[in-house]
Amino acid sequence: MDLFEVITIPFMQRAFLGSIMLAILFGLFGTFIVPRKLGFMADGISHGSLLGIAVGIFIGVYPIIFAIILAAIFGFLLARVNDYGRITQDGLVGIFLAGGMSGAIILLSFMPGYRPELMSYLFGNLLSIQWIDIYGLTLFFVLTIILFRMQWRSLVITTIHTELAYVINLPVTLSKYFLFIGTSIALICGVKLLGIILVSALLIIPVLTANQIGHSFKSTLIGTQICGISCSFMGILFAYILDIPSGPSIALLLVCIFLSAYLYSNVKKHTQGVKI
Amino acid sequence: MSSSITIKQFTNENIVECQDLSIVLDRVEVLNNASCCIPRNALTFLVGENGSGKTSLVRSILGLTPTNNGVISIQNINGKAPVFGYVPQKIEFPKHLQMTVGEYLQYSANVPIKQIKTTLQQVDFPESHIEKRITELSGGQIQKLLLAAELYRSPDILFLDEPLSNVDDASERHIIDVIMEIKNQGVTIVIITHDWQMISVYANHVICLNKNIICETSESCICRNSLSKINIQTIQKATPDPNSVHDGYCYIQNI
Repeated sequence: MDLFEVITIPFMQRAFLGSIMLAILFGLFGTFIVPRKLGFMADGISHGSLLGIAVGIFIGVYPIIFAIILAAIFGFLLARVNDYGRITQDGLVGIFLAGGMSGAIILLSFMPGYRPELMSYLFGNLLSIQWIDIYGLTLFFVLTIILFRMQWRSLVITTIHTELAYVINLPVTLSKYFLFIGTSIALICGVKLLGIILVSALLIIPVLTANQIGHSFKSTLIGTQICGISCSFMGILFAYILDIPSGPSIALLLVCIFLSAYLYSNVKKHTQGVKI
Repeated sequence: MSSSITIKQFTNENIVECQDLSIVLDRVEVLNNASCCIPRNALTFLVGENGSGKTSLVRSILGLTPTNNGVISIQNINGKAPVFGYVPQKIEFPKHLQMTVGEYLQYSANVPIKQIKTTLQQVDFPESHIEKRITELSGGQIQKLLLAAELYRSPDILFLDEPLSNVDDASERHIIDVIMEIKNQGVTIVIITHDWQMISVYANHVICLNKNIICETSESCICRNSLSKINIQTIQKATPDPNSVHDGYCYIQNI
């Protein structure tokens, strides 16, 4: 199969374009989400947002819009709980996940007939990505990159030493809300490519993979981006060639790369005589 | 975080004044109507038994711990709020964030790459560890790194929570010299410690926390240490200017 030929297919172009932007965004958000041990949050947001998808399908309006609104509200609440709530963050994630999923399933059960688009939202589908999705994603991508540029130091310091961030008057609260709401929206943007079930893989696994090999913050950040972009690209290609859903294809590739990096890291440590 | 902090222009020599401060954490009263002050350009030691509220007092002044009652007043410096520096006793860096010592200094204190080596030399931090990950550092090395970052930021008031607790003897002398040097440059320094020998040599001012109360009167104030009991009243008699002694804090000078 000619790779050039594949790239000229319009739906593959949309998938490649979308995946590159998503991999970059997920890599940046994941760099701050994973060290804070908030990986479970990604699953909760994506799964709970199925309710938004179900509402959209039920009333016949673009479902991603409702999912984004729901996810953004949840991201906001999650950031707020961090400071003022009487329940823990993972507790709130559990409530959102259970509430969203059950609400969605009950709503969908009222709809007669088989809903094939639902499978696309659950596991991702290359064909489901339209140009309107790419335009919306591009706008979100540009805005997010600008905000990352503005909040970068605050995000880094807050992640490694929150108290120092307060002492040196960095906008800790603002960067926290940006991180939580931004991650929530990004996850929903990735639903059409990876699906609700597996979208968190692109947020978490590239960071963990880069952590196995990277020695510094800079090298880990670069490694995360390389891992995310290359796995997304190859995953889409495999999905097209093997005619399988894109979500599992990308996620499985990410897992394989992680295992390879993990093995390499451990073998290297043993070789150097460092205790694991 | 705390709603009771006010920044104002003082006419006296105190850079920080705490009045009737009460702090309750997890339903436990840490401080009860305590008052104290931190004189400007002086080396103040904060002493007291474990759990007496030393760290909570410092964190309240920094705005990291909310107060339940009382007022913290902070003096302006040249019309601006003073720059705070803080080195906590202990910090755990997230294990899943790979960051080198050099990168930490770049992010935390905006230290240019060319000045990383000299910044670390100032606190006797081994040069060979610049590329080492911060998660691999020992407790003493972390304290030195945090101190190096804070020194580079040139704060007006520097709070050090037991800065020498994990540091080896060779580095201890070096760090004390650095602290005295920046104090002589006009930086106000507040150190939490149990090291009475250091206090007796270097203290300009001592705040003694006795249980929940910052010495309200000289009669009630006894600071305990492992070797002996020091009655603050006796020390206050040695103060050259008795009028400078106020209720609410203990004063030691020229001891």
